[in-house]
Amino acid sequence: MEEIKNIPIIKEISALELPEVTSEQLFNNIPVHQINMGTQEVLKLEFVFNAGRPYEDRQLSARTTLRLLKEGTQNFSSAQIAETLDFYGGNIATPFNLDAANITLYCLTRQIENLLPMLSDIILNPTFPQNELDTFIRKSKSKLKVDLERSDVVAYRTITELIFGSDHKYGYNSFADAYDNLTVDQLENHFAKNFVSGNCNIFVSGKWDSNLIAKINEQILQKMPVGKSEPILNTTIATQPKRKEIIIPNNLQASIRIGCKLFNRQHPDFKKMVIVSTILGGYFGSRLMTNIREEKGYTYNIFATIDTFRYDGLFYIGAEVAADFIEETIKEIYQEINKLQNELIADEELQMVRNYMLGNLLNMLDGPFNVAELIRTMEMDQLPRTDFELLVQTIKTISAEEIRELSGKYLVKAKMWEVIVN
Amino acid sequence: MVKFSRYALGNGLRVLIHKDESTPMAAVSLLYKVGSKDESPDKTGFAHLFEHLMFSGTPNVPDYDEPVQKAGGENNAFTNSDITNFYNIVPVENLETIFYLEADRMQSLNLNQKKLEVQQKVVVEEFKETCLNVPYGDSWHQISSLAYQKHPYQWPTIGKIPEHVEQANLNDVKAFFENYYCPNNAILVVAGNVEESEVMKLVVKWFGEIPRSPVVKRAIPVEPTQNIYRELINKNEVPSRSLNLAFHSPGRLDPDYYASDLLSDLLCNGGSSRLYRKLFKEQNVFNEIDAYISGYVDPGLLIIEGQPSDEVSLEAAEKAIWGELEQIKKEGITTTELQKLKNKIETVTIFGEMNIMNKAINLAYYEMLGDANRINEEVKNYQAVTVEDFNRVANNILIRNNCSKVVYVNARS
Repeated sequence: MEEIKNIPIIKEISALELPEVTSEQLFNNIPVHQINMGTQEVLKLEFVFNAGRPYEDRQLSARTTLRLLKEGTQNFSSAQIAETLDFYGGNIATPFNLDAANITLYCLTRQIENLLPMLSDIILNPTFPQNELDTFIRKSKSKLKVDLERSDVVAYRTITELIFGSDHKYGYNSFADAYDNLTVDQLENHFAKNFVSGNCNIFVSGKWDSNLIAKINEQILQKMPVGKSEPILNTTIATQPKRKEIIIPNNLQASIRIGCKLFNRQHPDFKKMVIVSTILGGYFGSRLMTNIREEKGYTYNIFATIDTFRYDGLFYIGAEVAADFIEETIKEIYQEINKLQNELIADEELQMVRNYMLGNLLNMLDGPFNVAELIRTMEMDQLPRTDFELLVQTIKTISAEEIRELSGKYLVKAKMWEVIVN
Repeated sequence: MVKFSRYALGNGLRVLIHKDESTPMAAVSLLYKVGSKDESPDKTGFAHLFEHLMFSGTPNVPDYDEPVQKAGGENNAFTNSDITNFYNIVPVENLETIFYLEADRMQSLNLNQKKLEVQQKVVVEEFKETCLNVPYGDSWHQISSLAYQKHPYQWPTIGKIPEHVEQANLNDVKAFFENYYCPNNAILVVAGNVEESEVMKLVVKWFGEIPRSPVVKRAIPVEPTQNIYRELINKNEVPSRSLNLAFHSPGRLDPDYYASDLLSDLLCNGGSSRLYRKLFKEQNVFNEIDAYISGYVDPGLLIIEGQPSDEVSLEAAEKAIWGELEQIKKEGITTTELQKLKNKIETVTIFGEMNIMNKAINLAYYEMLGDANRINEEVKNYQAVTVEDFNRVANNILIRNNCSKVVYVNARS
């Protein structure tokens, strides 16, 4: 007799808790957050300085300073740094976000002793050689030339510039001229002012059992110049949003970006707006994907997202579509926004979004490096540890009415910039 | 070390289970042994188009993604020249839902004209987004069609031309499903904090009764040895001129594969690699330079690609690369340099094992290659490469008559 197969019952995610994180203040009160867990003998050692665009005097100096740190120090040339890292199988990444400069060393835990002296020199004693700056400028301009022919890149550059303003710290774009005007002096000044104890946060994750933290304290923190710098923020000028169309010759596919200014993570409505944005275009089953990709086939990918910075944020929708479907796609985007503003989300869909987002959070807690990312985001945006539990609760309890109300409050058509690159 | 158990169901489905107690998530990778190399030359892009259609829903489950999302999970798929892989990650409590869904769509799909037409449009937009509307996006099309003249690696997975995708018809789609999507052509990997016996009970419950079916595979032609330098000049306007050199290199199962991978690392992986250090950093010959291998199962390609600096001619740039290649062939690699490349491989492998989805996908891939335990032998295989092996392989690969060159000569002013 054939066994009767019942469709498996979907179970609630049981536990969603931030693991234990040790945070201590070491020399000069530099906070060191430690996530010592997992199964692999690996290490991620991340130094995050408040040294992004809000801290720069000259455009592009923040990113350039960061990128040149490992291109020459008092005791190691660029070639020696590269050779040492490669030999011990390490990697130093310098990912830049608009607010902070991150210097992240990844290595096997047993190699850390071989790499720490060099990391120390990179963080404390970079020399910013002129020839390395020249190489950086040459490569950046070359990459920019390619980027400016990509409709997706042009569309993103344009909408952020329109929303914040072309001189704003979060709005300005890089141009060849600005690269050419960079000098070693500017980098040295940016470094001296901002790579100091009061701007420094450290996140150590992975698995270690030695006196690693004491060594970091001794080899790096005790030698770091004391000080603290303040961000300088220019205000955005109120503008009247409108449509902007840009033509790229021989373009085969149009890029659409529609968006408006929103807010940073500290705003009381931030978490709820993440949920709204997810429903609209934050996952495969989202309204925009279902309608515009899966039913109409106008695009390979359409999404809605919130980009956050420490002091501000923006909401936008993006898609690459066939030129014939530009207007139709825009019409459908607004129709989906209208639906969010006027109709209550059905229980079944809301339950799906809740579960999807909770599953996603569970995945984000998997392993020490992922936990470190979460902790870093909270620390750098000055949110308390309880914020994670608050997010979980918001996902579990947000109501259909709140979603409708917030969509009406923040996704206002009259406030949306529309950028079409065709 | 990635420990696993292996089972085979009566219908030929291969099942691997890997227990990892450290994660709350379970990963399921379902690999079908079909890729774009199994396509007919006049119907390319078919395997990838079909991967899209696997999300069309079934008589039981109208939308594949919906229950996955309800279960707190995520899923996606990729197709390459050799395989098609569907992967899911879900809180371990809801593992059975994934079995139910994957087994369900292995048996029947809602294939109809409307669904096909929508996905044809979606894939054509993907074609434009990834290949036609980005600078150099068609370079892989050019390189593979020049380097391969017989083997189906001559077209990329997305397809030779968008028209092939547009011309696919419903009968072909249905036949493709019948032929390749069956348990005896698949490998199922489950990874997570699971009890083996429990998992096997569920696997048998959901997959056990799916009938096996004969899989008819096209004979894949062997690529003859290249014995003349090939050149293709692309006159499309691009932001900067660009140069691509492609060399035939050993396939995934060839013992020399490891040395060829290390060779591409020596050329351009990391800040101390030869081409990056000398031609980008020191001599300013290139603004961008990279080297990598295709990683194909059958004999593949080692690619060097770069954009010369404005003041350097394409001829001079190519000459500079050959200068470095000749030096490697003549002087060989030092023990220290080889050790450096091996150390890097070890780190990358250990870091890769931190991710449960990654482990599941790799186990499926190695099992497809013949034995999933290769996942634990790879580092040793790289460690075993000697200076002599390395130099011999470099001398076999880096020769002019084994090279196909694609250049983009017209920079927009």
